[in-house]
Amino acid sequence: MKRGFLNPWVQLGLEALLVTAAEIFIKVGATHTATAVGAPTEWLGVSGLMSGWVWLGILCTILSFISWLYVLKHIPLSIAFPISNVVHALVPVGSWLFLAEAISLRRWCGIAVVLAGLVIVAKPVSSLEEKL
Amino acid sequence: MKGIAALVLIIEVTGFVVGQVLLKHAMTTAKQEVVSKVKVMSLFAGGIVGMTVSFFLTLALLQHFELSYFFPFQSSSIIVVIIAAAVFLRERLSTQLILGALLITAGIILVSAS
Repeated sequence: MKRGFLNPWVQLGLEALLVTAAEIFIKVGATHTATAVGAPTEWLGVSGLMSGWVWLGILCTILSFISWLYVLKHIPLSIAFPISNVVHALVPVGSWLFLAEAISLRRWCGIAVVLAGLVIVAKPVSSLEEKL
Repeated sequence: MKGIAALVLIIEVTGFVVGQVLLKHAMTTAKQEVVSKVKVMSLFAGGIVGMTVSFFLTLALLQHFELSYFFPFQSSSIIVVIIAAAVFLRERLSTQLILGALLITAGIILVSAS
């Protein structure tokens, strides 16, 4: 198992942070470029490409994708993918912090349950790491 | 969520899951001693296509919904991905993994229901 930056688990954490940043950047860009309701291109999403925020999000997506490919090379998909879903906790928190979106008590509870699930999935990881 | 939005979401999740399975298969194949470059590139290209379709549909959905509202709907992809990994990639699923994945999904549904 490689240490430091090239450790697959470090890359998995980096991938989650980059995905979170990408989602927030893309949301900012998408909001700025939303087309009128009923327009022919309403559900194509291509108007989002006019925003620099979307392109910043695309850059983060590409970087997260490179990390993800590295993760896939070393960790089984059925383990890596559930753990990568820490973004479901990180994105709402990021939306609250950076986009001023409201987070209700129930949503905070949901985030806590997601994190509990991640702990359960991550527990067998130490034994898996020995195998790797 | 309206009918067309739900349909777009289903296509988005399907593209995402297909993309993930093909990319994992490509990266696993690339590690083998005897590697068919054509096979790896085909799998990789298929994965990229699935992810690209998913990306543009995500962009369209984000133009209509708040990020913290929309994102949890993608939670269904967790269960679909681990089932697809077991079926198509022959990965072993432990009870603990399934339990954890179900808990993550429940948490995400709780987030989306708020």
